[in-house]
Amino acid sequence: MNGLQISYFEASARKRLSELVDAGSLVEFCPPEMRQTSPHLAMLDAPLAFDDGVVTGRASLSGHKVLIAAQEGRFNGGAVGEVHGAKIRGLLDRALSERPAAVLLLIDSGGVRLHEANAGLIAISEIMRAVLRVQAAGIPVFALVGGSCGAFGGMGIVTRLCTEVVMSEQGRLGLSGPEVIETVKGVEEFDSRDRALVWRITGGKLRRALGEATLLVDDLIPAFRTAAAKLIERYRAHPPVPADLDELLGAQAELTERSVRFAAARDGREIWQADFAEASRVPEMTVAEFNALLGEAA
Amino acid sequence: MNAPDISEKRWDTLARSRAARLARAGHLATGCIVSADDIVQLLEAVIEPGDRVCIEGNNQKQADFLARSLVKTDPSRLRDLHLVQSVLALPEHIDLIERGQVSRIDFSFSGPQAARLARLVESRKIAIGAIHTYLELFARYFVDLTPRVALIAAQAADREGNLYTGPNTEDTPAIVEATTFKGGIVIAQVNEIVDKLPRVDIPADWVDFVVKAPTPHYIEPLFTRDPAQITEIQVLMGMIAIKGLYAEYGIKRLNHGIGFDTAAIELLLPTYAADLGLKGKICTHWALNPHPTLIPAIEAGFVESVHSFGSEVGMERYTAARPDVFFTGADGSMRSNRAFCQAAGHYACDLFIGSTLQIDLHGNSSTATKGRIAGFGGAPNMGADARGRRHASPAWLRAGREGRGDIAMPRGQKLVVQIVETFREHMEPAFVERLDAWELAATANMELPPVMIYGEDLTHIITEEGIANLLLCRTPQEREQAIRGVAGYTPVGMARDLRMVENLRDRGIIRRPEDMGIRKSDATRDLLAARSVKDLVYASGGLYDPPRQFRNW
Repeated sequence: MNGLQISYFEASARKRLSELVDAGSLVEFCPPEMRQTSPHLAMLDAPLAFDDGVVTGRASLSGHKVLIAAQEGRFNGGAVGEVHGAKIRGLLDRALSERPAAVLLLIDSGGVRLHEANAGLIAISEIMRAVLRVQAAGIPVFALVGGSCGAFGGMGIVTRLCTEVVMSEQGRLGLSGPEVIETVKGVEEFDSRDRALVWRITGGKLRRALGEATLLVDDLIPAFRTAAAKLIERYRAHPPVPADLDELLGAQAELTERSVRFAAARDGREIWQADFAEASRVPEMTVAEFNALLGEAA
Repeated sequence: MNAPDISEKRWDTLARSRAARLARAGHLATGCIVSADDIVQLLEAVIEPGDRVCIEGNNQKQADFLARSLVKTDPSRLRDLHLVQSVLALPEHIDLIERGQVSRIDFSFSGPQAARLARLVESRKIAIGAIHTYLELFARYFVDLTPRVALIAAQAADREGNLYTGPNTEDTPAIVEATTFKGGIVIAQVNEIVDKLPRVDIPADWVDFVVKAPTPHYIEPLFTRDPAQITEIQVLMGMIAIKGLYAEYGIKRLNHGIGFDTAAIELLLPTYAADLGLKGKICTHWALNPHPTLIPAIEAGFVESVHSFGSEVGMERYTAARPDVFFTGADGSMRSNRAFCQAAGHYACDLFIGSTLQIDLHGNSSTATKGRIAGFGGAPNMGADARGRRHASPAWLRAGREGRGDIAMPRGQKLVVQIVETFREHMEPAFVERLDAWELAATANMELPPVMIYGEDLTHIITEEGIANLLLCRTPQEREQAIRGVAGYTPVGMARDLRMVENLRDRGIIRRPEDMGIRKSDATRDLLAARSVKDLVYASGGLYDPPRQFRNW
């Protein structure tokens, strides 16, 4: 349809999946009709979701086989509980035997589900180990971050463990979310209602500039699809190899240097000023302009 | 019989009063320029007890410094004032009443001060002459409510006192015209005094005093709607409006009320309406403020002309860069004019569409709620059939035929449409048996219940359930059932006569989305030409500069 542009940010997990993979190719694991719901939420008499807030399955993307999971941010903020976590971990384990071209994690989560905190924490640690194991087996894992909940808490860590991180400007990535920081450290530390500040610090542009996201794309499902397809091609040619000790030490040294260099920075703007000629214009730039500034081909 | 003694009769009392006031104030001014420090003295010198005073301001621009200064005057000297002004929007307007300096008010709209005003009326601290529509109040400035002193706001003045009002000209010409040509006194607050103005909006010899305000006058970004907050229900209603009404009647000249429902329609023009092949066939000429949500339609070439009541914060560069569409001066900036635009909306538009809070079974609608005297603003001027209209258009003629049948004298009718979700915020039903306006009228001793749009002017209601075409109803019973038939699960909707409603549907008086070929599942936010304020900035090519509260970057 004329001008019909499907926003990734606003779409549900199922909509994202159906538009991302080749039409009709998705075979869902543990689909809603199996009703594998959270026993913890049931005990608390809290609302349940028949997929426990995450869709997992096998599909093809540009003809390549992928295993894929999509978190539903509208159910408990995409938070990871026992069943939800087990579905993602199971998907990653399956990758070891099925050997897809890639595993795609469509992350939209505030972290661990507080109603089932212990089970959720264990699930997150299992997912982290599984992500590393899959990559060690030569299969890339891509995180796609562009939903309204972003990737925070344990899922923020999982995101950073992935081989590649694709973000939109609307996507956010961090450890503690702005509201949590404000609650613990006070509004002077982080005003979570200052939306512009929140995005300048946690949003896709800063994460891309710092190298924590590896690709920045427009907030459109086809843009995520194109990026994922490109990455699959790239890793078919060059499968991921586990980092050796020197690489890890080098990365550690870079992070140390960065933490010193920007120790006093209070706002994404100060980081733009260090690295960008037109720092004040960065927030206004389109994704294409921003990527061109980073020296990427359109 | 003795001849009347005309030698004693004086015909220049207004001029002599004016001269006396100017003489009292002369020492405070250098030329026409008065220092901000002397403004309270100036007001005490030129205003007399019992004066009709207009403090310019409407829902956008405000002469806020002059209002604050008036509150600092001596209440024993400036008293019994009669405020005649568009809005009572600032706390200072109400402070003046509480200080006992004002005994009577005639106004249009009180928005943010509606609750305070209601309390003052109930405690009989103030007499309301009448609550008007904008155009009606401007009209009375030239008949029986002419201001003696007008306190106005402009962007800039030169040293002679010429004024530049820029994009936010709004009410200024109407107020100044009435005041200055009837022996009154005009005092202007300006943001800056410059050697050369970009253009002259008000000539110097209509202005008596100019004061540079310590802070620029406040302007509210009232017409900015964040596309991110438009719901899929609003998208559905927008599709119904476009396909079921605009396309059906061929609506080219129109006015949109304020709100998310109409913002959704604006954002569907370059997508949904374009897909229906409606570009150039609908929505080409507007009486409308420069709504940011109209940017994508303008950029898509949908819109030929827009005349505006006022401006909108952040739209200045965009309107200046689109002079083929907006009315702009030789300096390049937009010129608005509320009086002319209200007249344009009343006489030259074929359709008005807007939202409301309550609709009753006769189709009367009101935004009044108990404990708040909010007034009307300009909506009733748009949302009323123009009985004085004599030029025809296809849309107007068709509405006239539908409403009057074939036997009457051929005559058209304006399409007046209410677009509402059946339940509004906090699950309050939009359809009611009896308007709260009745209760408000009783507690506030009003002669009329404050009805925004009268049922006799209303031609269509759009809800998520479909369209009710009230023009085609032939009896009061049919009209009532047509309203109930789109009122959803509200108590009014539940009390519908199912058979009668089905009969109305068969006759096309009620049309459901499926009757118009609209699939509800197609109504997604993905149809919106912009889904965020930032999308609007991109659509404008970076020309739109949204105010801070609408930015998340």
